[in-house]
This record gives sequence, C-alpha cells and structure tokens, in this order.
Amino acid sequence: MRIGIDVGGTHTDAVLMNGMEILCAHKALTSSDVRQGIIEALDRVMTEGRVDVTAIEAVMIGTTHFTNAVIERKQLSPTAIIRACLPTGSGLPPLCDWPTDIASALGNHGHMIGGGYMFDGRQIAPIDETALDEAIADIIHSGVKSIAVSAAFSPADNAHELEIAARIRRRIPDANISMSHEIGRLGILERENAALLNASLGELATKVVSNMEAALAERGLRCPFYISQNDGTLMSAQFIARYPALTFSSGPTNSLRGAAVLSGMQDALVVDIGGTTLDVGVLANGFPRESNSHITVGGVRTNFRMPDILPIGLGGGSLIADEGASVGPQSVGHRLVEEALVFGGSTLTATDIAVANGSVSVGQPARVQTLDRAVVERATQRIHRMIDEAIDKMRPSEAPVPVILVGGGAILVSRELATASSVIVPEHAGVANAIGAAIAQVGGEVEQLVSFSKHSRDRVLADMTREAQAKAVAAGAEPKTLRVLDIEETSVSYMDDDAARIRVKVVGDLRHSP
Amino acid sequence: MKTIGAEHIKDLCTGAAFLATGGGGDPYVSQLLAERILHQVGPAQLISPGDLRDDAFVVSIGMVGAPTVTLEQLPTVDEAIGALNRYEAVTGKHIDAVIPFEVGGGNSTIPPFVAAMKGIPCVDGDGMGRALPEAQMMTFPIYGAKPTPAVIMDAFGNWELLECADAMSFEKEIRAKAVAMGGMVTSAEHGMTGALVKRSAIPHTLSFATRLGALLRHHDGHIDAIEPELFALFEASDYGVIKRLFTGKVIDTTRKIVGGYDVGTATVQSFEDAGRRMELLIKNEYLVASINGRTVASVPDLICIVEQETARPLNAERMRYGQRIAVFGIGCTQHYRTAQALSVTEPRAFGFDLDYIPLEDINEDIDFP
Repeated sequence: MRIGIDVGGTHTDAVLMNGMEILCAHKALTSSDVRQGIIEALDRVMTEGRVDVTAIEAVMIGTTHFTNAVIERKQLSPTAIIRACLPTGSGLPPLCDWPTDIASALGNHGHMIGGGYMFDGRQIAPIDETALDEAIADIIHSGVKSIAVSAAFSPADNAHELEIAARIRRRIPDANISMSHEIGRLGILERENAALLNASLGELATKVVSNMEAALAERGLRCPFYISQNDGTLMSAQFIARYPALTFSSGPTNSLRGAAVLSGMQDALVVDIGGTTLDVGVLANGFPRESNSHITVGGVRTNFRMPDILPIGLGGGSLIADEGASVGPQSVGHRLVEEALVFGGSTLTATDIAVANGSVSVGQPARVQTLDRAVVERATQRIHRMIDEAIDKMRPSEAPVPVILVGGGAILVSRELATASSVIVPEHAGVANAIGAAIAQVGGEVEQLVSFSKHSRDRVLADMTREAQAKAVAAGAEPKTLRVLDIEETSVSYMDDDAARIRVKVVGDLRHSP
Repeated sequence: MKTIGAEHIKDLCTGAAFLATGGGGDPYVSQLLAERILHQVGPAQLISPGDLRDDAFVVSIGMVGAPTVTLEQLPTVDEAIGALNRYEAVTGKHIDAVIPFEVGGGNSTIPPFVAAMKGIPCVDGDGMGRALPEAQMMTFPIYGAKPTPAVIMDAFGNWELLECADAMSFEKEIRAKAVAMGGMVTSAEHGMTGALVKRSAIPHTLSFATRLGALLRHHDGHIDAIEPELFALFEASDYGVIKRLFTGKVIDTTRKIVGGYDVGTATVQSFEDAGRRMELLIKNEYLVASINGRTVASVPDLICIVEQETARPLNAERMRYGQRIAVFGIGCTQHYRTAQALSVTEPRAFGFDLDYIPLEDINEDIDFP
C-alpha cells in the first residue's frame, strides 16, 4: 500500500492506495509546520484505512514549498554561478535577465570562463583552468556554498560541467552544486537560470526533507519516501535535496495524473474548475502534455519541464454581468460561500446560475427561483461556450475528445459539450493531486541536437533511449517496467536537412526496496 | 524618433515580430543584448535616409545562420563592432552609418547598438521592410548595391573576407561559411553610398516598427479593439495598404525541413462559416494566403498574423491547432513592385507556381468577413 500526500498552499490532501484502488482520502487545511501537517495527514488516512505502518510500502509527497520560496524570495541561499562559454556569450552574462530583487537575494555572484561546446560537438574552448581557479577563489572568499555550473551545449556534452563541478568540490568539499545539464534543456540562459534557482533552494530542501523524514519516523514509517516532480515522475529523498527546483508546478501535474487514474483514461483532456479559474490540461499516454514555451518562475525565465495548462477566468464564483451575456473573469473567489445568492449573499455568480437552471442543488435554491429565465439561459449558454472554446484550444485536433471534469466548479457543466466525445466526472476528484503523487512512476530524459548525416536515425534514437533508461534506473526505476513515453523530434532551420533537436523520455515503475 | 535607446528595444522587437511575417525566430537574445549595450553606452542617433549625405558610406550589418544555435552560443559584445572595424581595416573606407538588412525579427536590433558603440548614426530604414530568407531578396542588391566585399566574424574573432560575383553566389557562400564557423556569424556587407541608400533602402522602418510594437505591446487585448489604430498606422506609412484577410481558428498544420527551410502549410477555418477556409503556405515566413483555393495575398506583400485575443504576433514555428488568429495582408512598399524586384521575391522565386498580383488588385471583389 502507498500513501500520497499533496501539500498545497491552502489544502493538504492525503490518500491511501492499494495498487490503483483508493482505500480512503482526506482533505485538511495546510499547517504552517510541515512536519506537523504531514503527521496529521498520515494519522488520518492510516486510522481511517485501519492499516499498520508495516503495510505501507512507500509515501509520495507533492509540495509547493519550493515554488513559493522563489515567488516570495524567502529562504533562498546566496548562490554563485560559473558558466563555461567564453569567448562566446560575453554579451549576456549570467543573471542578466533577472529581476533585481531576486538577483540580489542570490547575491549577484556571476562568473564566466573559457569552455563549453558548439552545435557540432567541437569545444568552444578547453576549460580555462586559471580563470576557473580565480572564480572558485572568489566564491570561497564570499563564503557562498551554493553554486550553479553551466556550459554551452551541455545537454549534448556534459563533460565540461562535470569537470568544473569536480574542481569546485576539491576546493569546497561541502559545496551544494547544481549542474545545468541535469536541470534544464537547450537554451543556456533559461537552463542556467533553472540551475541557479535549484542551487539556491538546496539548503531549504535539506531542511524540508529532514522535516519530512522526522514526520515519517515519528509515526514509525520505515518505508522509502519520494517527492513528485513537475513531469509526473518521482524522485527519491536523496534526489530532492539536490534537485528541489524539479518540484515546480508538480501540483497541476499530479492533478492531471490523478485524473487519469480516477477515470481510467490515458488520453483525454482534463478540465479542472475552481472558484475563479478553469484549467485545461492534456493527458497523452497517461502523462501531461508539456509546454514548449518558456516558463517564468518568480519573474525568472526558465525552461523546466512543465505541463501545458490553459487557464481561463471561469469558475464557480465568476460574476455574471450584462444580463447573462458576460461571465467572469471577476470572481468572488473563496467568499463564494458568503456572497453568492444561494448562500444568502447578494452577488449573482456562476454557481447561482447552475442552481437556477436545475443542474445542481446547493445552498438555498429558493433564492434564485425569481431570476429572469432569459438571463439564466444566456449565462448557461455562455458558460458552456467558454468551456467548449477552452477545450478546443487545447485538443490536439478537430476530433472530439474525452473530457475529465474535476474540481468543485464541475457543477457548472450540465449540458453537452460539443468538443467532448464523453464527459467523465470521477469520484474522489477533490483529492486528484494526492492520488497523482501516490501513483507516480520514475522517469529519465535525454535531449540532444543531432545530425543524422553522421549517424543513422535509428542508431541515434537507440543510443539516446539507452541513456534515458540508464537515467531512469539511476533514479529508482525497475528496469523490466521501462517504456519509452515520448520521442520528440524538432527539425532545425537554416542548418543541414538532417539536423534535429531530439528528446527521448522513458518511464518505469518504482523499484521496490529489498 | 531622433534616437533609439534601450527603452525602445522591447517595442522595436514586438513590431519587428509582426513585420517578420511568421519568421525571424525568437528575438529574446537579440533584445537582451541590445538593451544591455544601449543601456551602457547610451542611445544611437537615428538618421533618416533622406538626411544622409550622398557621398556618405553606409554598411549593412546583422547576423546570418541558424537562430537555434544562438540559444546556446550566446553573442559577444564584440562580434558586431569587430566586423565593422575589420571591414574598415580591410577596405580602407570609413563607415559613416549602419543600416539593418531586415527589420523583421532580431536582426533589427543589431545596427542600433553597434551604431551606439561606434558613435555613428543608424539609418532609420532597412533592406526588406519585413523578413525574407535570402540575401538576393534584399532591396540593396536589387537596386545596385554590391553585397561584397563583406566581412563575416564569429564569436572567436575569426573573420573572413567574402568576394562574390553577385547576390545569389553571396547567399550560397555566406550560408556555407556560417555553418562551418559554428552555425552563426555577424556580417558587415552591402557597402553603399548615401545616394544608393536613398534609392534602395525602405525608409523609416525602424521607427515604424517601434511605433507598431508600442501599439501592440501596450494594448495586449483583442485585435478588434486596436484595428482602427493599426490600420491608420499602416495607411499613413510607405506600406499604404492593409486588409484583414481572415479571422478564424487554425485547424491543421504540416511542416518539415527542406533545404534548411522550415516548409509547411496551415489551414484556418472561419468562425462564421465552417466551409470557408484559408490556406497558408509557409517557408520560414508566411508567403501565400488563399481562401477556398483563391489566392488573396502573396509574397512580397506581407502576410502578418496575430493571436486574436492578445493581438500578439504569431511566429510560424508556434502555430498549432486551436489557435484563434487574425490574418492581415499588407502591401509591400514600392521597392518590391518593380520587375527586377519581383523576379527574386515573387511566389515563383520560392517555387510556388502562381503570379504575384498586388494585394489591392486581387482583393477588390472578395467580400472579407
């Protein structure tokens, strides 16, 4: 049996699962003390599920802790960066596109040295060891222990990053080092930004992990525990201390993965309707479709793997205006339970429309009986049209798609959606995040710029797949269960006909500890 | 605009993305570089082609190669200024001003910052008024400028002097050199007199792109809301004609790389009438637009596409199913309407078997939504 816990900004959800079966679920407000919050969540599901600690094989935790630290610029460690790129790149030094408040939170310790690679695999320059030693001396002098390392084209060849990291470690044995090739993708500015954020969260991660470990130990749980990443896969507790930034955006990912399990669908659109917004995400092969554009975290441009989510301003608390012709984006939000007509308030909201048109009965339905039927009809149509349009923008083609509805605002949907081949409203949708965490698998990913004129396409893909598999096994996957999840191939313009950017991703089940 | 400084670059890049007609790549790196340098050295003087002395010596400068490479191999401060200085050393000529190759895309930002570094003016104009993929399509060679001598320089300071018989050979040569030198080079080329700039350059495109970008960037709302202002801006410019050709949803896209070009098609379906469809032919840029089989705009006229709800320009690489877009046809300037200009920029020059008919002529009897 497994326990999945999702620690969100507002709620902490927990589920107890046996395989794919949900034994019990629990939802509570998030406490300011991580350890205490996790203990309470564990107690609830274990008491309700009547299980002994020895029956628990693993605990999976999803957390927004690290995203919030970046957004609030809190608990970030001073962090230095060494980038190997010279003589290229001098025009755009590290941290050059950061908002000043977060750049100064990290301390503005940027260094550039000779090194890095070109697109065809040649070195830009050998590592400039003198400059490297000077940079390290400078870092020692400043007392900074968190250090990011980047090098041009390191996703294609990581040797320079490895060499620099090794040299840093010889001089600063207790350094917390983040190498960019382990964190991000092609695009050195975004990748090293990601590595910088990751390094700056290292100390906090160590603290959070020891709190989590303490919570588990206090309840006698000796099973391994894992943290969920933004791509829907897991990392072990030892990994999280090194890669905290990979948890960014794991909430929406877990919600999508949870919806897949709850509905039994591998390919579908997930529409999550809350109080203020509706998020549409895409499940392909049981995993979220990833966004191809840059992701800004706390004002910093990065290229993390993030699910492709379309948010629109429609939710249960959306205000109705213009005689029902306009719905949202303004919303009463969490004040819905006081301000909506059906709850005794005086604001006409989307929830009131859903009650008035008979699709649901909450609060005091009598309070909306006197509404103008034309307004109710117009607003009902408008709501469905907005949802249809959002689905249409996200579906991969014109063919109608299965739609999984989750979130409290799902009550707004009472009619057929033209874009949907079917609409599924699963049970336990409220704790989809925790379920997504509990069922997560382990993955490995490799990205390269390749030229098929040098090696055949099959050979390149086979090599890359092997490398991705090795990464997944190192991260804790059971080799027998590995499967290729995705091969993304993007041709590159103004180059050889055969140049392409390729990304291979594999996943597998968690290997049980002996 | 008399000067161009760091504060103009974001607007310039947004306007340049609109005029890039779907090409031009992601201008983020060039935008950052120009902002940083202009912030350090102060703004560049912007000079109207008409204000150039006839005997002034002007050189065109920009980057040539694969935009994807610059995502990893970031630019240096020195490549552009290095290429200019080397050009002067090799030719023995003093450069009085610089001018962009193309206003569409990231190449619009390089002449302003290199002019500021060198303390010379940047000409408010360019050699395309849009984005086009090859050197012989620039108005400079079309109206008599020689592309060479050209100096190309890479990030290492390696440089080469190119001498080619004509623009076509220059295009082949510089493309091959760019790949050999690491994927991207800066090129100082098309040295010409002020008199020749007046005859060949499309004037005022840098200030125009900046105004256009300011309009689009500060609006950031539904395209319908700024259409009157957008039309007024274009109608008062050298482009003259602008028409909304289509509004609808992207329902299909295809693409592949052929000969180094990103070649593809996109189909857009009208909101009003599902049977009414626009097909776009793409070769890096949007080149031909037709509605239900009938051509409604073609290169060298501009086909510019924005996302309907935000009025943000849409790059062809980012186009995908489900996007709501508005398609505009914009007349090319007079420079592209002569027989010699059309011979290298009409649809046939891109391998499409159809004649160029000016936007204002083909569209007279078409009822646009």
